[in-house]
Amino acid sequence: MDTSRYAALFFTESREHLAAMDTALLAIEQDRQVAHVDTLFRGMHTIKGMAAAMAFEAVEQVAHALEARCDPLRRGEVPLTDQEIAALFDGVDRLRATVDAAANGQTALAPTVAAPSSPPSPTNRRVIEIRLVADCPLPGVRAVLVLARVRSLLTVRSTQPPEATWAEEKFDGAFAITVEGDAEERVIVESVRGAGDVARVEVVDARDREAAPTQVARTVRIDASRLDALLDLAGELVITRDRLVRALEAVDGPPDRQVQRATRETARLISALHTEVLEARMLPVREVFDRFPRLVRDTARELGKEVMLSTEGQEIALDRSLLDAIGEPLLHLLRNALDHGMELPDDRERVGKLRSGQLVLRAARDRASVVIQVQDDGRGIDRDAVRTRAAAQGLIPDSMTTLSDEALLNVLAHPGFSMATHVSTLSGRGVGVDVVNTRVRALGGHLELETLAGAGTVFTLRLPVTLAIARAVLVRVGTSLYAIPAAQVVEVVDAEQRDLSPSRDAMQRETVTVRDHLMPLVDLAVLFDEEILPATDADGGQYLAVVESAGRRAALLVDGLVAQQDIVVKGLDPVRGGSHWFSGATILGDGTPALIVDVHRVV
Amino acid sequence: MSRTVLICDDAIFMRTMVGDILSQAGFEIVGEAETGVQAVEQYKALRPDLVTMDIVMPEMGGIDAVREITQHDPAARILMCSAMGQQALVVEAIQAGAKDFVVKPFQPSRVLEAVNRVLAA
Repeated sequence: MDTSRYAALFFTESREHLAAMDTALLAIEQDRQVAHVDTLFRGMHTIKGMAAAMAFEAVEQVAHALEARCDPLRRGEVPLTDQEIAALFDGVDRLRATVDAAANGQTALAPTVAAPSSPPSPTNRRVIEIRLVADCPLPGVRAVLVLARVRSLLTVRSTQPPEATWAEEKFDGAFAITVEGDAEERVIVESVRGAGDVARVEVVDARDREAAPTQVARTVRIDASRLDALLDLAGELVITRDRLVRALEAVDGPPDRQVQRATRETARLISALHTEVLEARMLPVREVFDRFPRLVRDTARELGKEVMLSTEGQEIALDRSLLDAIGEPLLHLLRNALDHGMELPDDRERVGKLRSGQLVLRAARDRASVVIQVQDDGRGIDRDAVRTRAAAQGLIPDSMTTLSDEALLNVLAHPGFSMATHVSTLSGRGVGVDVVNTRVRALGGHLELETLAGAGTVFTLRLPVTLAIARAVLVRVGTSLYAIPAAQVVEVVDAEQRDLSPSRDAMQRETVTVRDHLMPLVDLAVLFDEEILPATDADGGQYLAVVESAGRRAALLVDGLVAQQDIVVKGLDPVRGGSHWFSGATILGDGTPALIVDVHRVV
Repeated sequence: MSRTVLICDDAIFMRTMVGDILSQAGFEIVGEAETGVQAVEQYKALRPDLVTMDIVMPEMGGIDAVREITQHDPAARILMCSAMGQQALVVEAIQAGAKDFVVKPFQPSRVLEAVNRVLAA
């Protein structure tokens, strides 16, 4: 009988229980309520039961020992001291370790582990595989009778599927019993057949049936290249679909009904396929956020600080590969906050704060992005110290007297920047800000910073919701084509009617008013260093594409509107010069390349 | 000497049917019980070679009767007569001490196969 089917379920469920147990542990630490111990107990009890059914001895034994320790605590017979709590933390960690080991095929009890009742290392373990006759009435009962007979001859270690499920509707009369003992095969077979309604019985060596080192696939991680290939194909299909549709429309003469119908159907199916692939790739950020609370607690303790991590917006979904990629940047930011942002409890008390620091990991949706924030209520970043250091390193002009949040971030993210002079209490290696920034940019996103001295710091990661395919507005600037992500285009208006205003914005740009909004006017031809075409144009003039990002708008002056269509987004190598304004590139249906405008940068 | 059987079922119809099958196979029907209480009493008095037991009966059901009889005589040979879809109950009956089961509607051949298994064990 194939057990690997159940193995996947075992690991998924066990890991879920372990995660819930972690949450309970943290809660116990906070309020010492015995009710949380109950949750712990139930988790270990369930894992123990499942492990027994899977014949994962090591897991079963560790869970059992943990249960034994937990029981008196649960019943209030033993008080919840710091020592006991620490032991519980250790115990859950050990349980997790044995589950992980089991996932790698190490299911048997290691001989050196001192366990309450360790079974002898099995040399004569066998599996009896039984199939009952097809029309057997009450197969569950028949199986029980078979089991009773087997028990009279051998020691039964486990059954597949578990005996408790035999009475269920779905039991199909095929089952296996793992046994130990010396009874002869002939005797076993005869006894089993004697139970009646047995179609087939086979006795095999347990080693031949053991699941091969189960590389049980975690349900979250998927081979990145495979997923990328899938999305690429889906994306190309969408583009090709559009080409097909346009080609058909361009054909002279009466349209062929059959061809039209088939094309419509194909187009519809491709859209549906693309949507499925996109959605299959989306996962809630919870998948990544989950691992952090425990980590923060442990790290804070190491540093002698008291910090609690709370999370918000766990259900916000992100593309899978993005999810995989943000784990590390978030870890860097959290560690930074713990290392440098958070003060020691005594220091916090001295300035009137609570001894325990608050760290918040937050996810939210914006128009076209997912916004993830790491916020702390620590000491904030010392602007002056950074400014002085940056000037000393020649990164900023001496004349700059203050650093705005944006400038501050640019300095911190500069690969050459370092706060480590000789000895500084801030000991700012600013470790990871440049790494985080690079990673986030590579994902097509942005990093933002807000900080207030004495109050705290917020790092904001702004990431695109989906990769690969985006609706874009194709525009012509000079002789080149550019793509502007449609999600960030508010509207397009005739440039002839632009309402220039007399004032200039903070960056000394001209401003215009469009529908009562005052915004900067950006001449893309100038920005992108394109040929400035004569004012008169066959297309009938220029346009203003009003775009928005992070609440700020701008009017982009373009020479012509080409189309609004789906494009396959390809990343840009950040090393290439001049990519400052662009978040990616695409190849259009006819082979023309177009750069994708990074709206956030432009506004 | 032919083997003796005690038939326990609250329906005359069922008792008659089972009785016919068994007597044609050479069994002597030494007793009939309508309730679990009667089943236990008659077992103690008659010590039959075999017992057929229905699950649902008034005044103590079949499973409890099996339990009591088996406690009294661990070697008791009891065959459960069950309707389809009573798997969990039959499993309980086995765990209480019954040795095998047959389902209604009865097929004579199956009944006899089961009986022989029970007697052989």
